[in-house]
Amino acid sequence: MSGFIFSEKQEKEVARIIAKYPFKKSAMLPLLTLVQRDERVVSPDAMVAISKKLDCSPAYVQSVMSFYTMYHTEKVGKYMILFCINISCQLNGCDKLLEHTAKKLGIKVGETTGDEKFTLHREECLADCTRAPMMRVNDTYYGDLTEQRIDQVLDSLD
Amino acid sequence: MSDNEVTLTIDGKSVTVPKGTKLVDAAKRVDVEIPVFCYHEKIGALGCCRMCLVEVEKMPKLMTACTMDVMPDMVVKTTTEKVEKAQKGVLEFTLLNHPLDCPVCDKGGECPLQDNVFKHGSPDTRMEFHRHNNAKATALSPVITIDRERCIACQRCTAYSERIEQDRGLVMLNRGFHNEVGTFNNEPYDNRFSGNVIDICPVGALTNTDFRFKARTWDLTNVETLCAHCGCNCNITMGTRLNELMRVEARPNDAVDDGWICDKARWGHQFVHSENKISIARENSVGDGKPTSFPVLPHDCAGEDAAGKAAEAFKKIAEEHGPQSVGFIGSPYATNEENYLYQKLFRLGLGSNNIDHKVYQDTPGLPVSHYDVEQIETSNVVLLIASDPTEELPILDLRIKKAVTHGGTRLVSLNDQTIALDKYSTQSVQYKVGGEALAIDALTNGLARELGESASAQGDSGISADDMKSLVETVRSSMKICVVYNPSALSGEAVSGVKRLLKMIAKVPTMECGAIPAAPMTNAVGAMDMGLLPDFYPGGVPMSDEEEIKKQWGENAPTATGLSALEMIARAEKGELKALLVHRSNPVMDFPGGAQVTEALKKLDLLVVHDMLETETAKLANLVLPSNGPGYDEGTTTNIGGRVQARRKALQADQAPDWKIISLMLNVLGDETDYGKVSDVTEEIARKVSGYQQISRRSVGKTGCNRDSVISADEQASAKPVQAGTNGSLRLRIATFLFAEDKVLDASSKLAHHFQSSTAHFNEEDAGRLGIQDGNTVLLSAENVNLEATAKVDNRCQPGGVVVPRVSDGQRVNGLISADGNTAWVEVRKV
Amino acid sequence: MTQILFKNINAKDLHTLKVYEEQGGYQSLKKAFARKPEEIIEMVKASGLRGRGGAGFPAGLKWSFLAKNVFPRYLCCNADESEPGTCKDRELLLKNPHMLIEGMILCSYACQIETGYIYMRGEFHDLSFIMDKALEEAHAKGYLGKNILGSGFNLDIHTHLGAGAYICGEESALLNSLEGGRGEPRMKPPFPAVEGLYAKPTVINNVETLCVVPYIVNEGAEKYAALGTEKSKGTKLVSVSGHVKKPGNYEVVLGTPTREIIYDLAGGIRDGNKLKAFIPGGSSTPMLPADKVDVGYDYEAIAEAGSMLGSGALIVIDDSVNIVETTLRLISFYMHESCGKCTPCREGTRWLYQIVERIMQNKGQLEYIDKLEDICGNMAMKTFCPLADACVSPVVSSIKHFRSDYEEYFKKIPVSSV
Ligand SMILES: Cc1cc2nc3c(=O)[nH]c(=O)nc-3n(C[C@H](O)[C@H](O)[C@H](O)COP(=O)(O)O)c2cc1C
Ligand code: SF4
Ligand code: FES
Repeated sequence: MSGFIFSEKQEKEVARIIAKYPFKKSAMLPLLTLVQRDERVVSPDAMVAISKKLDCSPAYVQSVMSFYTMYHTEKVGKYMILFCINISCQLNGCDKLLEHTAKKLGIKVGETTGDEKFTLHREECLADCTRAPMMRVNDTYYGDLTEQRIDQVLDSLD
Repeated sequence: MSDNEVTLTIDGKSVTVPKGTKLVDAAKRVDVEIPVFCYHEKIGALGCCRMCLVEVEKMPKLMTACTMDVMPDMVVKTTTEKVEKAQKGVLEFTLLNHPLDCPVCDKGGECPLQDNVFKHGSPDTRMEFHRHNNAKATALSPVITIDRERCIACQRCTAYSERIEQDRGLVMLNRGFHNEVGTFNNEPYDNRFSGNVIDICPVGALTNTDFRFKARTWDLTNVETLCAHCGCNCNITMGTRLNELMRVEARPNDAVDDGWICDKARWGHQFVHSENKISIARENSVGDGKPTSFPVLPHDCAGEDAAGKAAEAFKKIAEEHGPQSVGFIGSPYATNEENYLYQKLFRLGLGSNNIDHKVYQDTPGLPVSHYDVEQIETSNVVLLIASDPTEELPILDLRIKKAVTHGGTRLVSLNDQTIALDKYSTQSVQYKVGGEALAIDALTNGLARELGESASAQGDSGISADDMKSLVETVRSSMKICVVYNPSALSGEAVSGVKRLLKMIAKVPTMECGAIPAAPMTNAVGAMDMGLLPDFYPGGVPMSDEEEIKKQWGENAPTATGLSALEMIARAEKGELKALLVHRSNPVMDFPGGAQVTEALKKLDLLVVHDMLETETAKLANLVLPSNGPGYDEGTTTNIGGRVQARRKALQADQAPDWKIISLMLNVLGDETDYGKVSDVTEEIARKVSGYQQISRRSVGKTGCNRDSVISADEQASAKPVQAGTNGSLRLRIATFLFAEDKVLDASSKLAHHFQSSTAHFNEEDAGRLGIQDGNTVLLSAENVNLEATAKVDNRCQPGGVVVPRVSDGQRVNGLISADGNTAWVEVRKV
Repeated sequence: MTQILFKNINAKDLHTLKVYEEQGGYQSLKKAFARKPEEIIEMVKASGLRGRGGAGFPAGLKWSFLAKNVFPRYLCCNADESEPGTCKDRELLLKNPHMLIEGMILCSYACQIETGYIYMRGEFHDLSFIMDKALEEAHAKGYLGKNILGSGFNLDIHTHLGAGAYICGEESALLNSLEGGRGEPRMKPPFPAVEGLYAKPTVINNVETLCVVPYIVNEGAEKYAALGTEKSKGTKLVSVSGHVKKPGNYEVVLGTPTREIIYDLAGGIRDGNKLKAFIPGGSSTPMLPADKVDVGYDYEAIAEAGSMLGSGALIVIDDSVNIVETTLRLISFYMHESCGKCTPCREGTRWLYQIVERIMQNKGQLEYIDKLEDICGNMAMKTFCPLADACVSPVVSSIKHFRSDYEEYFKKIPVSSV
């Protein structure tokens, strides 16, 4: 039986999202995003719940969700760090900074800290290349990174 | 050349094809083979594999022939240097991470990848890195194995799941190089049609678990024959080795199956080697222990010898007690030849019309054209009456879905239960269980009023006036309608109502109307055509047409209406019927009347059962004759679309085939025809049975031949109001379930994982009244039969009814119906 | 410097309706509604505006291709901005969301569209809040919704977020994604103008393209067409990144010499290094060596120089870099972003990666270069969509212009392993 139920608040949001589209399947990504943001993971049960909302097979939900990199089947940290390593950032020394960040957090790239606070991911271009090197922590973009700036940003998060 | 055709040139050859044809398919017409992996004619273009690149004049890039529609005056080249280089390149990419394990691959010898590499590839590889190691063989379901490392991600299988099955159970997961074929949360990919992915996978990634490592494909003897599970009669290839059935594959026939078969066809064939097979004739001692009026058989008697004795015994009884004292219950699963010969034996050999094959009412023929299944795709409206194709005739389900989703056909369902296809219908109208006759009449009357004809008053079928009005409107405005009805799910005289309805629809100006009588049994149409009926001779000739009967069958042909199957049982109980022959039928299990049937059969002086598997009825027989059954049979069957096709034998039997056994009995009874081969019977059918004039071994060939529509006699009876049950009881509707556990799919079946336990589906209203909740165990009883089931409160039918799917023989669900076959009121109690 | 898109870009609170209106925002609507929809399409045609998302297809022409008399129709604004090096749409969305809304209203009016979606890449969640707020304001003011400004024209616009997939910037993949599916590209034909979103006629334009439209309607097509070169009209936002002193988004008139952009606007190469190479139009476009730096920044001139203007992302690389490193990073990107649907792209990108990686480990052989070129030849123009071409482009151009960078790795091969 499904261990995931949309909360009352989520139900409202689901209804609002579905109303944006003439065909409800369009709400697929927004609903997955809603779940990912609220739960920090998209569990199989949540996929089933979404499939029921959108009247499609759970396999289809999984097929779609597994195509995109922002959905996770393992719970991510409270702060999701997407560290850009693409060309403009590479030219500006991001590789060293990423290493620094991983070391600081005591994890490897792709991992989550033991206290579930941070997850660190290598990320393709995030479209802030003129402020390279840059990273995104949850919704916020941080540019012109240096080791000091990274420390400062991460330390300021609680 | 019409506007709808296009002429183009491919490799210098000019070809004219219909507009919208893909380049690959046009090329085939002039024998130009463009290599493909992902393209499949029935699934449509995907453009994934890039194997089909060709040069098209005036186009800067190479084009994929599978995605490209033909255009007038196009000049296409498929063998230029540029094309060959591209093909080599694509094959190199395809093989980059594909294991070269052909020697141990089940696809070896029939692998498009192997073939394409051989024809277009390069002999050596430039790949010097480790091949990506994807998962080796794992179970995708209990019957399908997936080797993900062999998958070339062509997406045929997932596109099949999306476009043909349309339930998207099998999907592509992940992205890019990590793409893989999979299911939700690694659950099994398991549905009615899953096996088709094995046939379409162009490499050895999806294989038949049952067949894996059993034999090399080139060691198989392949026989083109038919599936014998349902009235679709899908075309299959049986691959055998050393007289053992190794595998079943689809054998595409657009006119029948559109290239697909259901999983029951593919894996439901264990019965051919079943331990329960009746392999030799035998005598039973029943009742007081002495076989009555039956000459004693020698031990290990061959079917032929036993048949002779049986014929003599029947003759003796008929002479002593009159032709009315003998009867025959035949089978809607048997071939036309067997049925034809049996009716001939009883009519001409014994002078009796006590012949039947069913327990519901039906009459041969239609007042409108008998549509074949292809007509569904060109109809504007398909009207399903009491039919649930998904469970009853699975491949028809795929055809209807195709018509609805790709062809713009509208589906309308008139039924007493919800069905899986409701999802595809524009309107699903539900009548009360038992209300079919009234519902159908209401529709006929609605149309009559629209046409300005008189219409009689009617009772309450449970359909609201608005629903009926819109149904009438849909039907009236349909232009071309195909009515698909299941006579075996209609009670009382409702089937006459269907025929009146058809006549009325046909009266609508500019209407094209046809029908498909869609009883689930394999050869139900053929059995009707062959006259396995108490009141009709073959070809739908009624008893009243004495002149025609005498002309065709001679002066001595009996013209008194015989007993129906249920009447025969009733007469046996009274001791008036003395001898009964049962061919491939199991009245004890499948007839209404519960224990009464057994009691009646025990009273017979002589019961002969001619069947392939041990049944409850065979246990009561004085004499059991072996019938070889599908796999061994030869002859023809007529599918729901009126298409006559050949059921060929793939396996050698020790016993004489059924038709031979019957013809020997005929000889004993004085018929002098010498049927040397089964086609001699087929030829006689062509001469004697109207509608079958064109049928011959030759005309039937590989893909079959439609028989002419049989025109029905006039229908009289009109609907009676629904009978009320006793206080609080519910009217029973027995529903078909494809994977029922019975004699054919027994516990040893590869499909046993599909078996379900008994469920009873209630309407909320009744459930509330009876205090039943989802998941409760309930007891249904009637006719001294009790059936335990798990309750599902899902409004599958209207209040006052209960739907019980027939999931196993063990249920004995038919026993809940009263012996006259009409009433099915059950008491329901929570346990 | 003519500034159209960036005219007031740094005005305080430009993202609010109030400030936007103060700067003359939404004035174009009344002018447009006074004309027939077809006239607006003609204006956009006459302006010479070309798509700024990458392909440079004339915007007005695209609008005129919509299947006749088929409704509803849809507008999708492509705000997926994922081409490495490109970050101009982000700045527009962040600072001037109303300009896009105004552009979308004009386009919708011209094309008789009543529903629009702004498809933003998932990472732009922050921007979606800004955009949603702006849409709300515009709605409240009557610029969106029913009977806009009494014109009888209705329009709703919604934001829609992707979830991490570069390929969804490709217009047909975007449509699949917006319909709730995997972001795999679709077969063309049918083109979106005939069968796009929900199989209905659909216009898809880049953020920047749509943002130009208010100017054209306000100032007239001629004024816009007077800017730029013969075939490349108007201005273009250029995202200058890499080894320059002042990276940033700059608006330039098309045809401006690339040298001016790099050296004047972006302050030239930093750290006293020399220009080695530049990628003129985003990572998908072939890189060019330093000696091409005088090329005019317009579609035709860059094409003649052997590359493409693309999305206008000018990535500047100095001589401290071995180009093979950059190339490997770009291959890695395309390998990661390949949707996997078609064989040459799925397999080819990975194979290229494996080979170049091996070269960088000093384990390559000289023949690898020919092999790379041959594999690229087997991929180029043979795949379902242009993503594989984009992957091939840095490989082929780096071999063409910087072969010696590859050869350096072979020099380091230890003798024993040759
Ligand atoms: C692989 C690929 C990625 C693309 N990414 C983007 C993108 O991120 N943003 C964009 O506007 N166009 C992108 N495009 C171009 C779009 O397909 C399309 O041409 C464009 O949105 C049309 O708008 P325009 O005519 O205004 O440029 C991409 C194309 C391809 C082939
Ligand atoms: S499993 Fe077979 S049919 Fe399915 S994608 Fe792979 S190769 Fe194609
Ligand atoms: S057969 Fe044409 S792309 Fe696969």
